[in-house]
Amino acid sequence: MIDLQVLTQAVGDLDEKTILTMINDFVATNPSGEDAQKVVFACQQGMAIVGDLFERNEYYVGDLIFAGELLSTTIDILKPVLSGVATQKVGSIVIGTVQGDLHDIGKNIFGSMAEAAGFNVYDLGIDVSPSAFVEKAKEVKPQIIGMSGVLTLAIDSMKSTVKALNEAGLRDSVKIIIGGNPVNEDACKQIGADAFTTNAAEGLKTCQGWVK
Amino acid sequence: MTDVVALTNERNQMFRDLFSGKTPKRVPISNPATQDFAIQYAGLDLAECQWDLTKLEPVYDKFCQDFITDTYPGGSIRIPSHYQLLGSTPIIMSSSGFMQHPEVVGLLAEEYDQFIASPYDCIIETILPRLYTELNGEPGKVAMALAKAMRVHSDDMAYLGTIRAKMNAKYGFATMGAALTEAPFDFMADFLRSFKGISGDVRRYPDKVSAACEAVLPLMVKKGTLPNPSMLGYTFIPLHMAPYLRDKDFAALYWPTFKKLIETLAEMGQTVQLFVENDWMRYLDYLYELPENTIMRFEYGDPKLVKEKLGKKHIVSGFYPITLLQTGTKQQCVDKAKELLDILAPGGRYWWQADKSIINLEASGPVVENLRAVLEYVHENGTY
Amino acid sequence: MLGGEDKMDSKYYETWEEYLAQHPELEGKPTQAIAPKIERYEDLMFTFIMDLLL
Repeated sequence: MIDLQVLTQAVGDLDEKTILTMINDFVATNPSGEDAQKVVFACQQGMAIVGDLFERNEYYVGDLIFAGELLSTTIDILKPVLSGVATQKVGSIVIGTVQGDLHDIGKNIFGSMAEAAGFNVYDLGIDVSPSAFVEKAKEVKPQIIGMSGVLTLAIDSMKSTVKALNEAGLRDSVKIIIGGNPVNEDACKQIGADAFTTNAAEGLKTCQGWVK
Repeated sequence: MTDVVALTNERNQMFRDLFSGKTPKRVPISNPATQDFAIQYAGLDLAECQWDLTKLEPVYDKFCQDFITDTYPGGSIRIPSHYQLLGSTPIIMSSSGFMQHPEVVGLLAEEYDQFIASPYDCIIETILPRLYTELNGEPGKVAMALAKAMRVHSDDMAYLGTIRAKMNAKYGFATMGAALTEAPFDFMADFLRSFKGISGDVRRYPDKVSAACEAVLPLMVKKGTLPNPSMLGYTFIPLHMAPYLRDKDFAALYWPTFKKLIETLAEMGQTVQLFVENDWMRYLDYLYELPENTIMRFEYGDPKLVKEKLGKKHIVSGFYPITLLQTGTKQQCVDKAKELLDILAPGGRYWWQADKSIINLEASGPVVENLRAVLEYVHENGTY
Repeated sequence: MLGGEDKMDSKYYETWEEYLAQHPELEGKPTQAIAPKIERYEDLMFTFIMDLLL
């Protein structure tokens, strides 16, 4: 049986070789869906270590991106043995880079970390119009909407998106978090979001707090 | 000598003094707003004006008239026509009309050795055809696309140059040349390996990353060389990836070729302006090692600490938060300018620029009024 | 001439000396006028190409 503590630590260390060897060996034993769930959980705990190291300035954004990539590779390998098990999701988030902005690095980091933490993530991509956010929110009824942007114009687009959600009567049923270079407390108030962050790990903690 | 020529001479002298470590007669100012902002300020359509450049002369005239600055406010800009003709994927126009850079991968991980063997060959044969769809295919088609793109770019640049010359003649801006280049590591990251790709490479094959940076260094030097190194002007180098790296990766992979690049350009007698993007506060001791009078425009950080550590050797700029122009009152905006002047001007070696460029203008917002107030304040009170 | 071309080591970039060696027909022609022009467009192309990746 796979040593889950060793796996958690390997994820925390971002030790790609060890992780892939362990996961591949594990899948080769034709494990049960339940055991596979435990492995996913161990990986998520490893990601929590990554988040802590990031907060302590031992890891930086490049490391988070690498962590996200490692984790999605891992989940892909596990998928065949996970199928058939009802995966428990902690909540659902709709994310996107707002209209007029094409920068998606921050959004992608947040998305992969949120997915790793067990959220159902609906990523609308880049240059997303307010109406596209509204349509998706109507369709999947997420607990959280995450808007991302790097340009200062993103602030205006975020404002229009919140307005559109308001007009569609959806504002009160979701929490809204904004992320990216130009956001700060003042911008957050102006936009009418519930929280802001310039740091994906911190943003994820905020979201986890909301769905507890 | 006309008043305008005298003004240009005076401004040129301010920058000559600044770049050589002397204290200019006042703090020089560069308007952080860009051509995109200027088009919106004139109430015109962003996409249309970037295609039809003849619309831009009155745009610039109003822009130059209404916002005080010592340098021409039409710096490095991307014009869409040649990107369109080349089938560009790394630079495209968004729905709002801004030219932007989505994440792309021009070089695959397994192509590192090919790149290291000859970076320029690899760029022509592998990277450009992958990123620019019109450069991929029959040689005849590629030749036609390249010829059209090169010609339109040359025409566009000449047209913008004419507008610039007219504005300089009318408003007496400093006349400076500029060349654009990048730190080798940033070059490898931005269009070649992507943020995601390079983040993995740093852990998977650091030796190849290092060799690629060394291999591309001569190209980066050449790209950053002014037509005449003794002319008034600078090499502009926007810095990207360092804040996202661990200290040890920075020391091993980013810093060595970056330092060589700056030293080589300085030895040629050129001024270098770094746009120090994001948070470099943990690298200040490294920055201190760079040649005297390197200009460092900071996006973020503690101005006091930077002045204390770098202010006697280097030229400090930036820090002014443009988001304040969007969210603050006029008084708050002016107070911020005063605060930065008080910290950064004493002893010289300070150039007023903002932390970022302003590209967007919300017509109903306070940015125009706040920006004008700040530029006027610094113009009138910018003593060292 | 810009710096760095001695290390370009590419079949898509030639210094004037390399170019001249390939083009004997230029022997005896006014190379003082030809050289700067050939160099200028070699460098313009280089700058254009590199700007596509910056």
